[in-house]
Amino acid sequence: MTQQAPPTALTPEVQAMVGVSGDVVESWGVVDAEYMRRFTQALMDPDPRYWDDEFAKSTRYGEIITPPIMVSYLASRIRPDQGDPITAAFEENPESDGIGSVERPGELPPVPTNLVRVLNAGNEIELYAYPSIGDTIFFQNRYSDIRERLGRDGTPFLIITRETRFWNQNDVTLCITRASTIRR
Amino acid sequence: MTTLLDDLLNMEAEEIWKLNERPDADGLRDKEQIYYEDVNEGDELPKYIYKPTPTHLFRWSAAIENFHRIHYDLDFGLNHDRNPSILVHGSWKQSVAPQYLKDWTLPNGWPWKARFEHRAMLVPGDVLIMWGRVTSKYEKNQMGFIELEIGMKTQDGIESMPGTATVVLPLRDGPPIPYPFVPPADD
Repeated sequence: MTQQAPPTALTPEVQAMVGVSGDVVESWGVVDAEYMRRFTQALMDPDPRYWDDEFAKSTRYGEIITPPIMVSYLASRIRPDQGDPITAAFEENPESDGIGSVERPGELPPVPTNLVRVLNAGNEIELYAYPSIGDTIFFQNRYSDIRERLGRDGTPFLIITRETRFWNQNDVTLCITRASTIRR
Repeated sequence: MTTLLDDLLNMEAEEIWKLNERPDADGLRDKEQIYYEDVNEGDELPKYIYKPTPTHLFRWSAAIENFHRIHYDLDFGLNHDRNPSILVHGSWKQSVAPQYLKDWTLPNGWPWKARFEHRAMLVPGDVLIMWGRVTSKYEKNQMGFIELEIGMKTQDGIESMPGTATVVLPLRDGPPIPYPFVPPADD
C-alpha cells in the first residue's frame, strides 16, 4: 500500500509572496527627545548618550543618539488623522483586547493560505546606525522568507518571515527587523 | 568579575537581585572599552537583573503605545485570556537585548545583530536575569567579531528568550569600527 504524501502548504501562490513588499511609509512626526525620554525610562536604560548633550558630543557619534530599535515602535504610532481606534474597538466589541483593528500603513497583503493559527517563531534585529533627534523615519515591510516544515504528525505548516527596514531622510539604513510566525 | 549564571540560579530571588550589574548613567559614561583580544570563549557577560512590577509594565505599554490589555488589565488577563497574571511584554524583552549588547560593546564597539525566540510567560514577581556567554570569536576586515549565546532567565532557570548575537569589538591595534556600521561583504 502506498502512502499518500500530505498536500503541501507551500503552494505556488504562497511561494509567490516571497519578496512582495508593502508601500514605503514615512512615519508620522520625527524622532523626538520626549518620546525617547519615555522610552528609555520604560526600558530602564540610563545611558547619558541619550540625554547629556555635552557628553554626547564627546562620543564617537558627536551628538545625542537614540536607542537601537526605538524607531520600530515610534514608526507604528497611530497617526492623528486615524481617528480614535481604541474607542472604535470597544464600540465594535465591548470585550476588545484593546488593540482592535487598527489599520497600519504599509501592511503586507495576507499570505494566501488556509492555515489560520498564528504562533510567534522568533525575531531578528540588525543594527547599522543610531537614529538622531529630528530624523524622519521611513520603513518598508516585505516577506523575506516562507518555508514549509512538517509537524510531528506529518502535517505541513509554514514559517513566514516578515522583514522591515527602517531608514532616515538621508537614506541611511538604521536597522532591519525580522519577525517569523508559524502558521498552522 | 560577573557572577556565573549557574551560581545565580542556585540563589534565592533576593540574593540574585543584590547581584544586579545593570550600570547607572555614570557607569555607562565611564565605560572602558573591551577589546577583541580581552575576550575568550566561555566568558560570561554582566548580568542585568529586573524585577518588573505592574507599574513597570504599564509604563512600557504607555511608552510604546501598546494597548493590549493582557499587559495591564489583570481581570482581562485572568478571565478572558486565562493567563496566570498580566504578562511582561515581548517587545520590552527584545528591546533589552540590544541595550545589553550596546552597553557591553561601548564606547566604540557595535551591537550588530541578535536572534531570539519568545518562550514562557513572564509575570510581575518574577526576577529576570539578562545574560550572555561568548561562544566563539573571529577577526575579519580588521574587526573583532564575537558570537554570543544570550537569553533572559527567570529565577527558577526558565529560559524565556533563547537566542544568539553577534557583536563587533575593536582590535587593540586596529582601526575604528566603521559608523554607520558596514558588515563584511560576505556576512
